Amino acid sequence: MIARTFRAPSVAARAMLHLPLLGIGLLCAAAPLTKAHAEDGGPRSGGELTFGVTTEPVCFNPQRSEQQNSFILIRNFVDSLIAKNADGRFLPWLATEWTVSPDGKTYDFKLRKDVTFHDGERLDAEAVKFNLDFVKDPANTNSAGQLLQFYEKSEVVSPTEIRITLTKPDSALLESLASIRLGILSPKALKSGDRLCSGGPALAGSGPFLFQSYTRGQSISLVRNERYGWAPGYAAHQGPAYLDKATIRFLPEYSVRAGALSSGQVDVIEGVQPTDIALFKDQPGFQLLVGPSGAQTSFTLNINYTIPPATDVRVRQALRDGADIDGLVNAVYLGAVRRAWSNIAPDNPFYNRALEGSWGNDVAKANALLDEAGWTGRDSEGFRTKDGQRLSIEVGYPQPFVRDNRDVLIQGVQAQLRKNLGFDLKLRLITGGEWAQQKANGSWTIYPNTYLPADAAQELQGNIGEKGFIQAVADKGDKELFSLINQALSATDVEAKKQFVDAAQKRAVDLAFIVPLFSANYQLAAKDNVRGLSFEAQLDSPASLHDVWLAEQ
Amino acid sequence: MIFGPLGRRILSRLGTSLVVAWGSVTAAFLALHALPGRIEDILAGDLDYPGLREAIAAEWGLGRSLPEQYLDFVARIASGDFGVSYVLRQPVAQIVGSQILPTVQLATTAGALALALAVLAATLTAGRGGAARSVASTIELTCASAPVFWIGILLLMAFSFSLRWFPVSGAGGWKALVLPSAALALPTAGLLAQVLREAMEKTLEQPFIVTVRARGLGEGLIRLRHVLRHAALPAVTLGGWLIGGLLGGAVITEKVFGRPGLGTVTLNAVLTHDVPVVLAVVLLAAFIHVAASTLLDIVYVVIDPRLKAQ
Repeated sequence: MIARTFRAPSVAARAMLHLPLLGIGLLCAAAPLTKAHAEDGGPRSGGELTFGVTTEPVCFNPQRSEQQNSFILIRNFVDSLIAKNADGRFLPWLATEWTVSPDGKTYDFKLRKDVTFHDGERLDAEAVKFNLDFVKDPANTNSAGQLLQFYEKSEVVSPTEIRITLTKPDSALLESLASIRLGILSPKALKSGDRLCSGGPALAGSGPFLFQSYTRGQSISLVRNERYGWAPGYAAHQGPAYLDKATIRFLPEYSVRAGALSSGQVDVIEGVQPTDIALFKDQPGFQLLVGPSGAQTSFTLNINYTIPPATDVRVRQALRDGADIDGLVNAVYLGAVRRAWSNIAPDNPFYNRALEGSWGNDVAKANALLDEAGWTGRDSEGFRTKDGQRLSIEVGYPQPFVRDNRDVLIQGVQAQLRKNLGFDLKLRLITGGEWAQQKANGSWTIYPNTYLPADAAQELQGNIGEKGFIQAVADKGDKELFSLINQALSATDVEAKKQFVDAAQKRAVDLAFIVPLFSANYQLAAKDNVRGLSFEAQLDSPASLHDVWLAEQ
Repeated sequence: MIFGPLGRRILSRLGTSLVVAWGSVTAAFLALHALPGRIEDILAGDLDYPGLREAIAAEWGLGRSLPEQYLDFVARIASGDFGVSYVLRQPVAQIVGSQILPTVQLATTAGALALALAVLAATLTAGRGGAARSVASTIELTCASAPVFWIGILLLMAFSFSLRWFPVSGAGGWKALVLPSAALALPTAGLLAQVLREAMEKTLEQPFIVTVRARGLGEGLIRLRHVLRHAALPAVTLGGWLIGGLLGGAVITEKVFGRPGLGTVTLNAVLTHDVPVVLAVVLLAAFIHVAASTLLDIVYVVIDPRLKAQ
């Protein structure tokens, strides 16, 4: 067998390699690009930008953070070993090329020679090994340790070569290494103790901006990393960032962010509520960009099928099909997001497209299923009953995760299920602590969630696999589903993995272990002189500001 | 006796404050642990791998019995060590220290503004029938019953987004403080003005006002020098409650305006059971209330010398 090799030649040769692809890109983007370039004479350096974001990160350390919205900020000062392109391919970043052994257990990476961290330390194989070992060690309680469950060890082959050995094949490893959660930090910073969460210059990565300062509750300041010459393979340009400085401001209120942009107090905002989209979309002086839905999972109701009445597949299928999800998603989000068919999001290469149209909105069938399952009585409020028990399942939605009118959407499902089926779907906002407790003892009934960006098989494992939310009662779980997910995780080729991931999605939806609702995406609104804004495929969220520049107004 | 009467009063005050501080810390500790969910489970979140929970428990000493953890907290707080936040992973003293000033700044500016507005509205309209009084009263009622959040958004829309006089937030110096202070001050001012006016109107009917008038004093002086002083007592009694209201309102105002302050820190700490931070904030709040009530006691005596005798 021949080892699969991914080579990353010089920048010039790489440009040649990508020419056909680039051609397609140009065709699609020709109109805006030529217009921008003709008028503005192409990207130019300089200027300051203010970016209003929804969320102040609890922790700026990428290896520890579990907040998807924190990564928008962190990406500006932290690089990863490899980069994930929008088409799903992995491209060079801090590593220039890599090979995978045929048994899928040994990965060899060649590193760039010219990378320095913000604190002046050099990036070498020793530094990468230190990072991976550090994350892997549970004693350091890093959340990213979850991505390295099959990691056994790293060996420094030479200062620019590192060999990673796994205990068993991990089809998600490249995705994990491309993730910001395994972003490479200066070993000196990691050794300095546990103050990296609060950011600032102590949090030394190798990214295009230096983390200059942090004013808690207000903003962070970034300044250009003048030495930066190692942009990810998907970047539009090499070399240092265009902007001199960037300020990222925390503006948690939707209307305040929109007002700040429309009155010119900030240049870019993230998180535009559907009713504000018209303010910026196709409006003179503004632009609106919508990101992909691929990296995160779709917003999904996960059903604990080990607790009655959800143990009965007919009850779950009735819950799945008793509401018009298309109509509800449109009513709440005014067409700004897509309704979901699977928990894997539609722009993910591992999305099972065959599920589209395969379920949902069939009230007659849902009622027939409930009749068949014996829920034939009705109580004084019109809900179905069986042996005097009301047909009722609780959705416990942890309050800290409620956002974007997601609770309103669930209320919509609730109202339709009540009206269409006499099904009592009870929505209750619970505390984070209550959810932690319900998860620890397996007593949760329905958990609505969107999962952090990860490999599709990892996402399935973390949600509906045996290590998922059902972990505490996994012995009563669906063995077939668990087995499909485990096989996807250890598959050594993409085709096999795709088959297992597809089958797992199909089984989860067919047996209504999940009810996917909608695929979230990020929206950026900006003044129209802000150019080069884009999204990072591995995260779905806005990419770093490396390619962003300001045209003359 | 070693201490004089004043010394004894100060000592007993100090003693009460310590009891209040200890009581509130204990109550907060018990309340946090009575809430559902183990701290290590909450800190681990939706992510999990073998050994993570155990490591988190070991990191923060969560494996120990609750009385042990409690005694440890109390002993350390007594020695001035507030520990490290479980979530923000920064010394609590540093977090609270860096966030307290913006909150105090906002609350005091808003408090002063509220006081000024209330005094102005009450002195101008008390005892005067007719349109001005009912207009002022209506505005006050509206302000007093409107949520800070909503007032904040309205002020922003008018003065930041449309007129562009003031920034949303940020390091704009005094300009960045205007709208948040106004948003926070208006409900307080509304309430305070209502109380003050009623008290002034009662005072205006007192016989001594007739005496003062007989001495030929002008209406303005009567109101400012005599009536206001008498009417101030009920308003000062409200003061203790208002300080709490201002601090609580500051939390919401900070969120709307994207200002630094204790608000977000406190909210997140409670949601994530971040015990060290919650205890520090509770202690701070207890301290502020004790300090405020002491101050009010002194203010009473200054306003009403009759109280000195008691």
